[in-house]
Amino acid sequence: MLKRLGLFFFSLLLLVSFSSKSFAVSKKSYIIAGTTDKITSLDPAKAYEYFSDNILQNIMGGLVKYIPGTTKIVPDMAESWKISKDGKVYTFKLKKGLVFSNGDPIDAKVYEYSMKRVIKLKQNPAFLLADVVKDVKALDKYTLQITLKYPYSPFISILAFTISYPVDPKVYPADKVYNGLPVSCGPYMVKKLVRGQEIELVRNPKYYGKKAKTPTILIKIYREANNLYMALKGGEIELAYRTLLPQQLEQIQKDKNFKTYIGDSPFIREIVFNAKSKQFSNPRLREALSYAVNRAQIAKEIFKGQVNPLYTLIPAGMWGHKDVMPHYNINKAVAKLKALGYTKAKPLSITLWYSPSHYGSTESDVALMIKNQFEKTGLVKCNVKYAEWATYVDYWTKGVMGMFLLGWYPDYFDPDDYMWPFLETSASPGMGSFYSNKSMDKLLIKARAVSSVKERTKLYYKVQEMMVKEAPYIPLFQGQQQVVAKPNIKGILMDPVQIFRYYLLSK
Amino acid sequence: MKLKAYILTRILLSIPMILIILTIVFFVLRVLPGNPILAMLGPKAPPEVVHAMEHQMGLDKPIIIQYLVYLSHIAVGNFGTSTYTSLPVLQELLQKFPATFELTLYSMVVAVLIGIFLGTYAAYNFGKTTDVFARVYSIFVYSFPVFWFGIMLQLVFGVWLHWLPVSGRSAPFMIPEHIYTGIYTIDALLNGNFEVFIDAVKHLILPAVTLGIVISSIFVRMVRSNVLLSLSSQYVTAARARGTTEKKVLFKHALKNAMPPILTIMGLQFALLLAGAILTETTFSWPGIGNYLITRISYRDFPAIQGAIVFFAFFVAVISILVDIINAWIDPRIRY
Repeated sequence: MLKRLGLFFFSLLLLVSFSSKSFAVSKKSYIIAGTTDKITSLDPAKAYEYFSDNILQNIMGGLVKYIPGTTKIVPDMAESWKISKDGKVYTFKLKKGLVFSNGDPIDAKVYEYSMKRVIKLKQNPAFLLADVVKDVKALDKYTLQITLKYPYSPFISILAFTISYPVDPKVYPADKVYNGLPVSCGPYMVKKLVRGQEIELVRNPKYYGKKAKTPTILIKIYREANNLYMALKGGEIELAYRTLLPQQLEQIQKDKNFKTYIGDSPFIREIVFNAKSKQFSNPRLREALSYAVNRAQIAKEIFKGQVNPLYTLIPAGMWGHKDVMPHYNINKAVAKLKALGYTKAKPLSITLWYSPSHYGSTESDVALMIKNQFEKTGLVKCNVKYAEWATYVDYWTKGVMGMFLLGWYPDYFDPDDYMWPFLETSASPGMGSFYSNKSMDKLLIKARAVSSVKERTKLYYKVQEMMVKEAPYIPLFQGQQQVVAKPNIKGILMDPVQIFRYYLLSK
Repeated sequence: MKLKAYILTRILLSIPMILIILTIVFFVLRVLPGNPILAMLGPKAPPEVVHAMEHQMGLDKPIIIQYLVYLSHIAVGNFGTSTYTSLPVLQELLQKFPATFELTLYSMVVAVLIGIFLGTYAAYNFGKTTDVFARVYSIFVYSFPVFWFGIMLQLVFGVWLHWLPVSGRSAPFMIPEHIYTGIYTIDALLNGNFEVFIDAVKHLILPAVTLGIVISSIFVRMVRSNVLLSLSSQYVTAARARGTTEKKVLFKHALKNAMPPILTIMGLQFALLLAGAILTETTFSWPGIGNYLITRISYRDFPAIQGAIVFFAFFVAVISILVDIINAWIDPRIRY
């Protein structure tokens, strides 16, 4: 019986092996990348986390764009623009003959529809436009006028962000988030998307700009750093972008089969204090704790030097950045805690929260190290608690957590994006900090209205200096962009605004 | 009781079982902290959008009403819409199920082959080296954490030797052209594409062997003890007295008679495996229901989590009924 069965299977295999077809996909025509990031939405009105935005940056475009590798903004779909004297009216002349990947035209009406749609849908990133835009109007087919509620100098960089990308009115409904395959207007278009599994990008033949260098990019999505690492070492992917563990990166840097690219990242991490909570409403306590945090130790021991300590909210390398927050000084921390009445017998009892997977598997180590640093003062008893991301978001929105770890990717490349959402009274609840300070608000509003960079820098310096005594946050470190790829992959650009440009990749 | 009546009773009994599981999952999800709307919209979503979404999803209604609405939907096969992808949950589950089924099926083949051969030989060589080896093997393997064992195999066969792929179901652009069953190995053969078939098999080897070896320990012990029992029975002595060859005694008499309880365990293991392949799926990035469930848990995707668990419960119920029926057929001694 077994023999007969075996014979049957053998002949079946023989039969199919003769009728097999071979694949004619040239290896040069595609690049397989891997990531641990997830996509939530590819509708510009809703996309608001790194990977979704990064895909949009490869399949769409806007009125303006950053020159790759720089922070300089130049026209993209716009031909030119003018700003009124009072800084409130922006008038754009659009390029002619632009179309979406399905052939539908892109004109001023499309932009008007798209921006109004974002504001109407009120999704997570909508505030970026809704807070400042008063009106959007297509003056004619190729002229778009945007009127602001008040002069807002970072506005042009918001136009370079995904929220301002045009969408096809025939496909994207005005009253609903669109969940289908995106209609593209950038170098690539999405051919296939299997959530949590893979996304396939193919060249957009109707793109007006430079063609993407490689016809197809397949991005495989892995659950954890470990899966990504195995896939890379096992030869299943040719490039890994976000995020390997520090020790994995350290290992792979020694491997001659791979090339590692490291660049600065505008990504920052911080401890958030809930200023509404009874315990942390006292700025003196927050300040005392800020002396106890040893960022250098975190950077060295947990991240193997792959992050840089940060002493303000504005990342190093960006104008307006000023190192202001106290460096590690345990004696000062002890003195300040003693002044607040804490003793060894009656220590300060606090809880530090973190989310175990959202920021990678190093997060629990970070929380534990900070706990130990606080406790090293001998006057603090620190509890560590964690919650999965969905619960975490719920907790910080409701103000459940008094002190917790958080991170920030910029929406637009301007110091305003590192100051306003954190410190301004109406924006800080979004961070779970509920911090409010009228004189700081005034400075922040002024810094938005002024157009001179020199003037704005001065204002941001002032805000940062105020942060020292107030310590609404303890900035921890600034991340790095890390890409690991096979040596034959070319065109990897470590962009200062951290747009990973898949369309520049080739082999 | 007649067989038909027994089957009917079993089917009817499985309905409250699924209902109980569904109820527990439904209420536990809602009692635990974590708002699905906030997980979906993010913390900056304005309250009016959150409320509108809550209303749209019915989350603003009393929990008992939500429960009754959900039950009425499930009763007609409507598993709801995922809050994460906005796609019908049933459609997503049916799309992921073949991957889980394929992995489970091949893992069972590995486990059964090891279980039957090692278990039988161990029983036949009672007290000798093979027996000691089988016992040590099953204890050793039973204590392996699946993910650790999976990672070790990935390291050796994927990373060091480069023999086998370490994750996923197929290489890029190697998906069967026409999907009939969703089981790649079968679809590739139906398409007559040997290259895709080989690729699918290569991708299956590591996860199936990992899972198969880990569960084979139960089978080895089951087969061993049941065959031992059979070998000491009179019909084996009688067979030997008739001059039957040892091979025949072992496989035709001892093993065959020892099979019914083994089959029950195997059947139930298959059902449990279907639900329990989660760790293997996450280790090997296998795009099945286990991976789906884990991802959706972190997004508090209530309909998807409930749907996946009901789906699993349904299969455990169906398979355990099938196992009982098969047992009744093959063993005339079973009475109801």
